Amino acid sequence: MTDIASHQGDTQVLAPAAGPPRPARAEAWSRRGPRRKARREFRPRRLVPGVLVAAVLAAAGILGVIQAASAALDHPLWNLPHRDFAGPLQDTHWDATATLAVAAAVAFIGLVLVLAGLIPGRPRAIPLASSDDSVVTGAPRRSLRRSLARLAEDVDGIDRARAKLRRRSIKVRATTRLRDTAGLRENVHTAVQDRLAALDPLWPPRVKVRIRRKAGG
Amino acid sequence: MTRHTARVSRAGLILTGLILFAGGGVALARSLDAFPAVLGRANVPLLSHAQVRYPTEHAWVWPVTAAAAAVIAVIALWWLAAQTRTNTVRRLTLEPDRTHGVTILPADAAIGAITDELESYPGIQRASAALQGAPAAPRLQLSVTAEDQADLAVLRTRIETEALAHLRASLELDTIPTVLRIRFSPAHHRRLA
Repeated sequence: MTDIASHQGDTQVLAPAAGPPRPARAEAWSRRGPRRKARREFRPRRLVPGVLVAAVLAAAGILGVIQAASAALDHPLWNLPHRDFAGPLQDTHWDATATLAVAAAVAFIGLVLVLAGLIPGRPRAIPLASSDDSVVTGAPRRSLRRSLARLAEDVDGIDRARAKLRRRSIKVRATTRLRDTAGLRENVHTAVQDRLAALDPLWPPRVKVRIRRKAGG
Repeated sequence: MTRHTARVSRAGLILTGLILFAGGGVALARSLDAFPAVLGRANVPLLSHAQVRYPTEHAWVWPVTAAAAAVIAVIALWWLAAQTRTNTVRRLTLEPDRTHGVTILPADAAIGAITDELESYPGIQRASAALQGAPAAPRLQLSVTAEDQADLAVLRTRIETEALAHLRASLELDTIPTVLRIRFSPAHHRRLA
């Protein structure tokens, strides 16, 4: 690996400048249909908060039925830990700190749930172009992030690398032990850019690379 | 796990959130003595003596409360079921012309065929698939794990023009709406740095 660096020509040849002919899907990203479809498909489903809230509501409803039926029949249907709610509610005033805190907490939880339902959220996958209109393709974020990091780590001289996916850009942070970091940034940039070109995302992101030199190299 | 369940989750969250936000907001306003003319004064107990005695003097209160709680429980359970339902197709109906009878194909067979084909492609390590929706017009969820070094342009063309075409042909469908997820994994023999 070390002598490749001395032969500039070799690295140029190895760079996959002219890959296999790419299928005609490049124009897909300019059309709105596939983009909207992909965005909708990979939007977070909010399944976890939804299931959680539904379960809490169901449990509260069932408990309410048991309690109210017990009170209606005037004997406990079920041996639930029972407490007298009427007493404390008669003793607590509206302007008490506890009332204020509980009311604020309930309103806050409500606001969080409304926002969770309304905010689209970060897509779970980066949408990729597809030549077939019935196919929505995506690369799940975490997997793509790790793959790009591995790719950057395979560049000669790079020790460790991490990739971050932003909305319109990909940030790669790499560390090296080399004293001379000339050209490293460009090499990492080219490697990541080439992989992205092969992936053909619907929104081509910009690639930003930062190289950090590790001390004691 | 379809778009329908995503809408159900979000709609339920918005509705529950609005109710909690409104209730909490009104209680907060009264607690802060914001609109004493409308909401009542703040320096009184949460429940008055008359309110505490009310259910014992009116027999209908507890049964109605129980019924309301039951309605909430049923709606919540329905919501829970709607969100966790996977909507998977188990058997596919093949013959579109019903006068000649219907052919029924287990979905597992179709899924096994396409995952086997995908896993035979060079560069693909694993593939999984699921058919969802109506048995006569299913949708396909496809997940593929490709090696880092795989030629993705070629792979995707093969998936779209070969594997999916074969599935369409075997199911006698003109189109199968597909969601394809491509994951990546390091190749078996990775070069050591």
